Amino acid sequence: MSRRGVTRREFIRLAGTSALTVWPAAALAGARPQAIKKTDAGPLLQVALVPCPDYGPETLAAAIRTGWRSSRAPDVRGKRVVIKPNMVDVSPDRPIHTDPRLIEALVLHIGDLGAREIILAEGTSHNRDAEDLFRRSGYEALAKRRGIRLVDLNYDDITPVKCANPKATLLREIALPETIATAEVIISVPKMKTHKLAGITLSLKNMFGILPGMAYGWPKNVLHWNGIPLSICEINATVKTHFSVVDGIVGMEGHGPVMGTARKVGVLVMGDNALAVDATAARIMGVEPARVEYLAMAQRIRIGSLRSDDIGISGGTVERVRTDFVLDPEYAQLRASRGLR
Amino acid sequence: MSPSLPLAIEFLKTHQNPDGGWGYEPGRMSLVEPSAFSLLAIHSSGDKTGTAGGLDFLRSCQKGTGAIGIGPKDADGSWMSYAALLAFHELGAGAEEQRLKDWVLNFDDASGRFTKEEISIVASRYRYDASIPGWSWTPRTTAWVEPTALFVLALRAIGVPATEERVRSGVDLILDRRVPSGGWNFGNPYSKSFELEASTMSTALALAALGAAGVAESRPAVRSGLGFLEAALGGDISTASLAWALLALKSFPSGAPRVAGATARLARLQMKDGSLRGNIFETALSYLVLNDAPILYPVRGGKR
Repeated sequence: MSRRGVTRREFIRLAGTSALTVWPAAALAGARPQAIKKTDAGPLLQVALVPCPDYGPETLAAAIRTGWRSSRAPDVRGKRVVIKPNMVDVSPDRPIHTDPRLIEALVLHIGDLGAREIILAEGTSHNRDAEDLFRRSGYEALAKRRGIRLVDLNYDDITPVKCANPKATLLREIALPETIATAEVIISVPKMKTHKLAGITLSLKNMFGILPGMAYGWPKNVLHWNGIPLSICEINATVKTHFSVVDGIVGMEGHGPVMGTARKVGVLVMGDNALAVDATAARIMGVEPARVEYLAMAQRIRIGSLRSDDIGISGGTVERVRTDFVLDPEYAQLRASRGLR
Repeated sequence: MSPSLPLAIEFLKTHQNPDGGWGYEPGRMSLVEPSAFSLLAIHSSGDKTGTAGGLDFLRSCQKGTGAIGIGPKDADGSWMSYAALLAFHELGAGAEEQRLKDWVLNFDDASGRFTKEEISIVASRYRYDASIPGWSWTPRTTAWVEPTALFVLALRAIGVPATEERVRSGVDLILDRRVPSGGWNFGNPYSKSFELEASTMSTALALAALGAAGVAESRPAVRSGLGFLEAALGGDISTASLAWALLALKSFPSGAPRVAGATARLARLQMKDGSLRGNIFETALSYLVLNDAPILYPVRGGKR
């Protein structure tokens, strides 16, 4: 099933223009929960690149422990933690959604660290039948097994939040689910996938799913009309993702995020800055992050950094695990050349 | 009627919020869709408890334009207007119904905003006609199958003829968006060369709307859609999808053989507290469908 509808942005792009609505970085001063500042001590950001060849529980537990230790993970003790997986749809044939075994390993790890409450929350984008999707994805069984709450963000209570972008139009006031608004730690756990509208989808794009469908529709069409890159940046500049874990054990290439094919990489990418994590994951996929429109925009508004020089990588090198994903021909220009940083 | 079905009404009455409305679950914020369906269910049971307060809640959600948002603080109209339209009609709020109906019939989706080039791109990429007016989840965005189906259902239920231009257009949109191998999804039959999969809830809603609009079951889209739905009923199915599917089956003669089984299956989902899944909307919807509430079964006419 497709993940998108028809978008104004797409029309603009197909028409051969590159007009893009951007707000000045200075306009966000004091209102960027994810903003970073350069320091002189060590790399600005830290990302863990953790080999993880399969979804076996022991393999996952060890990988998460390793990545957590080496990537400036948040303190979850006594906190209400919301885990946001990626579940645009579910298919027995294609790895569309974040694997529940990874989510379960993460739940166990966070529980061991003393989190007060763990919530698994998703607002599916196209198919609004969450009862069905939660069941078929394995998330419902996981939630029952581990005694955690499973929340359909599409129908959650809403708290209006002012967008960090003072020039925002369609998202001037964001209808934020109460579960997200009251979270003390938000962990984004996307699948490593190509995306036929955005090029690739990782942690930042995953946050589309926090906006409730009852206010933004299925697909979240208001976000499409607002422009996908701009929406991604407005959401992430307004709502902080405290930690990201990219499921790159088996990703999706080709006509993602739904109709693509499985691509094994065997890696988890973890870190506290979603943009740095996404940039690193993009490089692993053979994509030059600066060419991905929304990543470049996120860099411009300083919700993180995609520059290699700013990102310290623990656990290995990108080149060692680089697995060039088949890209949609429309996004062929995203391909990084070998050795490109 | 199942002997325990009246318990559903008790569940709904128990969980009415102080502002007169209902949330999707007990104790949650009042929203238009669960409020309207709770009102419809309680009203159809012959009980009047809380209906005045519920109606006042819906009135508080109506804008000067006649539109209804998802709650009282919404500045704009929304897809939940379909549910309020049904409730205003059934509970006799004539003035509010008329204003809302006018807004719905003049709904501003994106079909009139697309250029010829854009329509051409959509036709080649997704293989549907973006120029057909329908209903979107929020005004001024793209029309999709489910909101279009919900509004067609509601308009037919309140007596708008199937021949009315906007209803006909909505039907055309639904037929145009069908997935070639059967059924409907949210509204994209294809993505480039990939045929996309149908989903149960979208298919059930589309069929219920087509039935309400008097579209003959001999139409290939209806036949293949019913085939998809029957296959879906053979497996796991969610509560809301089952309720809408039952409504769809009751909308076509060839669905009749499946009605008894689906009815029993839906009734079995009722829990001890009278609810289905503890969900207020699903409880009210199921009550109405299981009871053959007339509001969900418009008089047939205007065959296409």
